[in-house]
Formats: sequence, structure tokens, C-alpha cells
Amino acid sequence: MAKDLGVISREIFYFFSILLFSAIILEIIWPNIILAYFNINYIFSAAFISGLISLTKK
Amino acid sequence: MFYAIWKKWPFLFKFRFILGLILVIIIGLFLYLKVLPFGSISYSRDYTSSWQLGKGFINNFTPAERIDIKNGEGAVLLGDPVYFSLFTPRTFDKAKITIIYKDNLSIDTPLIEAGVLADNVVWRYNLRPIDNKALDYLMLRWNKITESGKLLLQKENKYTNISDFEKDLNVNNLNSCVGHLNECLVVYNYDFDYKYRIPNYQPAMPLVVDQPLRGAHQFYVYLNNETLNLEFNLVDLNLSPKAAPINIVVYSGSEIIASENLVDENLNPASGKTEEKKIVINKKNLPAGVYKVDVRVSDDIVIKKIISSLDHLAFINKVWPVSNDRNLKIYTDSNHLQVKALNPASLQTIVYAGDPFLLNETYKQFDFKTDSALNAKEIDLNKADVILENDGVFSFAQDSLFNPGLEKASSYFSVKTDAKYIIANYEKPIEQEGFKTATVELNLKGAYRENGKYSFMISVPGLKADDGIKDNLEIYKIKIELEGRTLWQKIWE
Repeated sequence: MAKDLGVISREIFYFFSILLFSAIILEIIWPNIILAYFNINYIFSAAFISGLISLTKK
Repeated sequence: MFYAIWKKWPFLFKFRFILGLILVIIIGLFLYLKVLPFGSISYSRDYTSSWQLGKGFINNFTPAERIDIKNGEGAVLLGDPVYFSLFTPRTFDKAKITIIYKDNLSIDTPLIEAGVLADNVVWRYNLRPIDNKALDYLMLRWNKITESGKLLLQKENKYTNISDFEKDLNVNNLNSCVGHLNECLVVYNYDFDYKYRIPNYQPAMPLVVDQPLRGAHQFYVYLNNETLNLEFNLVDLNLSPKAAPINIVVYSGSEIIASENLVDENLNPASGKTEEKKIVINKKNLPAGVYKVDVRVSDDIVIKKIISSLDHLAFINKVWPVSNDRNLKIYTDSNHLQVKALNPASLQTIVYAGDPFLLNETYKQFDFKTDSALNAKEIDLNKADVILENDGVFSFAQDSLFNPGLEKASSYFSVKTDAKYIIANYEKPIEQEGFKTATVELNLKGAYRENGKYSFMISVPGLKADDGIKDNLEIYKIKIELEGRTLWQKIWE
């Protein structure tokens, strides 16, 4: 169970990391395309928290 | 089929597939919101709420000293004008702005208007009405006809519909209007092809406006079988680091009949080294009538001299005389005058229509009024470098003064008017439980857009933050509905 949680949190960490990277790239190409709707810091926080969980469940 | 494959996939693969799909949907959604293939979107801002998930599209009001933002109580506008910008991911053709507000304004500030920045050289906003209390008042007292956003007010009931009125207006033959159209008609936010003629017009003599004028100016000239010849001697002060291009456009009604451009290579930015420039406009065989000349320059340009073949030359709404070491006489047809001095050396006592008015503070707009019945009121300045503005025209010679514009139901308009008709494109705001809701439609084609932002202005002429009067405009919500070309139209055009 703990192993499954570890895998899930790792996958979620990958998901948020890719989303964060894509959001930054889109922002560089078209400024404000995401920031106007949504603060990218929230995605960064989600990636950070999921990364921490993934480390603790390893 | 898919279900059979799905069952065969291991858990990790299924989980990655779902997350991947969510990722694609999120990125796709943002790309959709960037392109907006159907060409329309709506953005809004609620000023009673301080929390926002993102930066939002409608930015804060500026300048900060004219705004008081209290959480949960909306944005309170204390001074005129205030600006806000709207970020859009692409360009649009039309904007419909809906404003929910509460108005705590005095009788001296009867007008609220909103507009979009159309010209960034002269900072000109295309303003449209939000609320016009003078018209609201007369709507209750005069005969009122409304048709598809148009409003006709009649002192006496002469017309039963607006189309009949417009037919007569276009041939300059309004019912019970014997004299000049100016004497019986007031307009507001309404354009029509008005053929103004000066009665008993004498052939023009050449005129030289030998008074340096700073920044953008507009003026009317009138001709009848004469050549339009205008020679502009201009000086680039090079005080600003920005280039100062010169664009002079001559209009007949709304049609451009001549245009001259002078590009500034900006070889001496912010150096203070002056550069002399010259533009000549010559047009022959023009039909008789009024022509509007728009000198579109920044404040870095001084119009040193205008040599005109026509002697009926009147500046529209504003003059900014500079570099003058003698007493200066300026004439205006308006009973109102707004004066602003930018230089302490320009503080003085101004004589306007025979009455002295004290100009004792810089960067403050002073409002002077007169009851003079004279057509041309004299303004005596003993020091230049003051900005003079009003709803009328200005000239440097009494004989040059003429105003072909019709009276407007603007902030200076009195409800005790002698006019018989008022025609306007205006709809009264809807009032509910003390809150007013007004809608303004603006044309964004050709509007100035920088860094993906359109600039808007909300104007309440006469509203001052520092006058000690507790009047203000509380804005609760702004909603902007935008419309533009669809993706398919963009591809095919």
C-alpha cells in the first residue's frame, strides 16, 4: 500500500513538473497566457509537495 | 475494443495515461483561450472581492491618488480621469463594457463617460456615455422618443419618430427651426454630415498665427472657392528620449482629404537641441465648407508658426501657447475656461471676459466661468505656457473665431437651454436598489494596444480629489465582452 502511494505520488510529481515546465514555456512564448487565469506558483507548490511526499514514501 | 485494451494495461500505465490526458486537456484549454477560435470572450472584475486566482485581465485603476480601494466596498473614484488596462490574448474589433456603480456625484458633475485609447501620440480616448444626468433630467420633462439606442428630446412635440427628424436634419430643415441649426439643436454622441456655412462670407485674407503652440492641436478652417494652403513651422524640443513624429491630417467631415507625415529619426534624443521642421499642405478646388486640421504631435513639438491662406481659423477645445514675452490676447466663444499652468513662472492673474481670475498653483486645473453674452470672449494672458481648454473654440484674432460645431450636451451643458431638440446616441443606465448598471459599446478597430493591453479611461469631468467636496463614484464590477474575427475568418481573409 505504502509502495503504491509512493508510486502514485511520484507520478503526480511528474505530472505537476511537466505541467509547470509546459506553463513556463507557454508563458515565455505568449506572456500572460496562463498567469492571467492562474498563478503558476500554485503549480510549483503542488509539484513541490508531491515531490516531498514521493520522497517520504520511497 | 478500447475497454478490452484498457483491461490489459497495467495500473501504472493506466494512471499515466489519465494524467497525460489531463495534461493535454489543460494545455489545450490554455491554447484555446489564447486563440479564441470563435472570436468572443468575456472578462470581468469584481472590485468587492480582493481574491483572484490569477493576475486577471482587467488591471488596477491608475493613478492611485484618484482611487480609494476598500475591501468589500468597491473602487471609489475620487478624481477625473482614471485609467485601467485590459490584457487580451489577441486583438478584437468590439468591446461592450458593463459597469455596475453607485454614484455619489454632485450636480456639477453630470457626466460619466468611458472610452478606449485610440491614439497614443496625442493620448486621445474615444469616449462614450455611461451616464448623462442633464439628458436623464430632460427625458422626464421633454417629449422623448427612443429608437435602437438613439434618443430624441423635443421641447414641443413636432416629430413622432426619429427617422422623420433625421430626414429633415440631413437637409437642414428642422421643424420650427428658423435660424441657424446651432440655435435649436443640441447633440450628444451623435455624428451627422452637417453642412456649416458662414453667412455673408468675405473672401479670405492670409493669416499668420505667430504664437508658438506646444503639443497636439486641432483647428477648423473655412473656405469658399479658395485654395487651402497651410504652412507649419515646427520645432522639435528634443526634451523627451522618444521620437517625435509629426502627422498632420485634414478632414472634411470624417473623410481624410490630405495627410502629411514627417518621421523623426531621433538623432538627438533628450539632448535639448532644438530641430526646426516644416510641413506644407496645399489643396486646390475644394468644395466650400469647414475643414478640420489635426496636428498629431507629442508635447516635444512646438508649432512655431502657422501661415494660412484662410483667415477663418479656430482651434478646437484647447490651446497651449508657449514662449511668449508679451501680453497675449486669445478669444473663445465658450462661457467656461479651464486653465492649467505647468510652470511656476506662468502663475498670474488671467482676465477672462473682463473678469480677473487668479491662477496661483501649478499642475492644478482651475475652472473659470463667465456670464458674458459676447460671441467672442477675450482672454488676456501676461505670461504664456498655460493650457487653456473648454468646450468651444479659440482664436488669436477676433475675426478668425467661428464655431461650426453644434452645441453638445457635455459637462458644461445647461438644462435651461434655448434649443428645441436634442439628438443623442444614449441609453439611460438601469437603476436598481441604488446601484446603476450602464453599458458602453466601443470600437476597438484601430485602438492602441501595447504589450497585449488596451487602455481604457473612465471620465467624470469636474470630479476633483482635492476640492474638499465629498463626491465620488463607487465602481463595484466591470464586465467587458469582446468580439472579433473568428479563426476561420482570419484564415480565409
